[in-house]
Amino acid sequence: MKYYAQTRGEIGDYSKLPFRQKYALQDLLYIAYGLLIVALVLVSYVLGMFDLLPHDPLQINMSMLMAPPVSGGYLLGTDFMGRDILTRLIMGIQAYFLPGLLAVFISLSGGVLLGVLCGYRCGRTETIITYFTNLVDSFPRLVLILLVIAAFKPDIYYIMAVMGITAIPAVATAIANKIRFLAQKNYIEAAIALGLKTHVIILKHILWYNCRALLIIQATLGMGEAILLETSLSYLGFGVQEPVPSWGNMVQSGANYFLQGNFWPSTAPALAILFTILGFNLLGDGLNNILEDGRGK
Amino acid sequence: MLQSVAVTFQVYMTLQPLKAIGNTLLKELVLAVLLLLGVSMVVFAILYTAPGDQFNILLEGLQPSEEARARVRDALGVPQAWYGQYFSWLLNVLSGNFGTSVRSGLPVAGELLNVSLNTLYLTLGSMFVTLLIAIPIALHSSVRGYSVTINWPLTMFGYLISAIPVFWMGYIAIYISIHGFAFFPLASLSQTPGENSWIYTLVPVLVLGLGSGSISEVIRSLREEMSRVMAEDYIRTARAKGASVWRHAFKEGFLIPVTGIIASKIPFILGGAVIVEQVFNWPGMGRMAWQAAQDRDFPVIMGIALIAAAFVRMGSLLQRLVYVAVNPQHSRD
Repeated sequence: MKYYAQTRGEIGDYSKLPFRQKYALQDLLYIAYGLLIVALVLVSYVLGMFDLLPHDPLQINMSMLMAPPVSGGYLLGTDFMGRDILTRLIMGIQAYFLPGLLAVFISLSGGVLLGVLCGYRCGRTETIITYFTNLVDSFPRLVLILLVIAAFKPDIYYIMAVMGITAIPAVATAIANKIRFLAQKNYIEAAIALGLKTHVIILKHILWYNCRALLIIQATLGMGEAILLETSLSYLGFGVQEPVPSWGNMVQSGANYFLQGNFWPSTAPALAILFTILGFNLLGDGLNNILEDGRGK
Repeated sequence: MLQSVAVTFQVYMTLQPLKAIGNTLLKELVLAVLLLLGVSMVVFAILYTAPGDQFNILLEGLQPSEEARARVRDALGVPQAWYGQYFSWLLNVLSGNFGTSVRSGLPVAGELLNVSLNTLYLTLGSMFVTLLIAIPIALHSSVRGYSVTINWPLTMFGYLISAIPVFWMGYIAIYISIHGFAFFPLASLSQTPGENSWIYTLVPVLVLGLGSGSISEVIRSLREEMSRVMAEDYIRTARAKGASVWRHAFKEGFLIPVTGIIASKIPFILGGAVIVEQVFNWPGMGRMAWQAAQDRDFPVIMGIALIAAAFVRMGSLLQRLVYVAVNPQHSRD
């Protein structure tokens, strides 16, 4: 630990540390669990895309209503209409995967643009961007999205575009802080002194060499937020509509049976939401601890 | 002579924080007004670009030409250009006229006043619950230092609680209160107040306080700030003198982080309120917003967006005031 504390400065050479000291076990566990969840989501998305499913998600089996897990060929049981829960969970990923990527793309590209402007230019640009950030932060996200739903239509891509825009300030602030930190470094000064073009410095030396990790972390956390938002909205009835499955509307449609003591149909999708969001959050935080907080690198 | 100068100086020094607070209040008020203007512009822009023209209803079945539409607008005294519409709408809003609800036909302002009080109760109550749980945990771990047996489970608890979908947590709470305590929390505010009916309202408040995901953030930021302050020299001095450590650490280590995190969490708690109100049938702003989004009831949802933004700005204004009151030097930045 002493060695670790000494090398926290800029000159420290982390690569010489043995693996066990370089990374905390806790962070590695977080990342492992997060990667497992990401892999599961990806595989399930592809399975759902090519219809490689254990059952038909819409097939009703009236003789097996709300079957418990592992019964009659249903690995995770059936819901209140006798539809296979596992299949519907896999299909539910279709509801948020692409829209979530759209939200992440918008927030990252907008955040990079504003963050670079804010960190590189001072004065008026910074004031305008701060105003924009405060403006976006003034709206509760869900209220803004309900407003957009009322004005246009309850389309998940509209919702996720708004979500992406409202996530811009967080990314922009992170990037701007990073640039302000980098501006004191010798190698950026050297790059300027060498006469490199501004866009080369920004794209290569700042964004590619120094902000890669930051952007991956922001993308992971953003995806977690997007899942939370999609499930909340489809729970409220504004996302994917029955009978097409989404995790949110599965919880909602199982709710009445939940209160009668039939927990499973509503609990299974809720647990799916819980473990997935947990995975994305842990992956983001674990990566943040290892790549950004001075450990590793 | 010298004494009077000293007294004047002393009075001046005691007034200094007040002056700083006044300056900040003025600055923040101006900023809040500017931001609320921006908010109103965003809300209006969304409304303006929304497809469909409400005047089509008046000309139903006539296949109205552009010219006919323009004449109807003229006859009703509606301004043509967007800025004319914006300013007439803004003037109405400023004079407290939020329009009439498309659904109920009642003025929006009165209804909003009722439901926003319910939401205020829900959000303030849930914040109180959050702080009640988070503060002892954070203080304990920052004062006693890091220990694996306590901190690791707490960290995991924080992660778990912020990943639990709040609507599912709501169902669990309802189930427990029905089957364990034999009362039905859904009746909450909408019923005529009986004896002890306030107990019903505790369940949604508890659920939002636990499930809005702010507990883990309050713990994290308060623990970090408190640990930082506990390591400062002046705390060591206070301890050596035998003075109260808590009194010395209170402002920097407790007041500032807590107000900061509350102010930044208000939008999230209001968003969580939308879902909790839906689960518990709570007659608040969130439920009204949900209904309005279903009915495309513009005046209602616009009013709600404006009021929610005003809540948020008020929170950050209070936070700035506390920040400056604790350390008047901050008023310069």
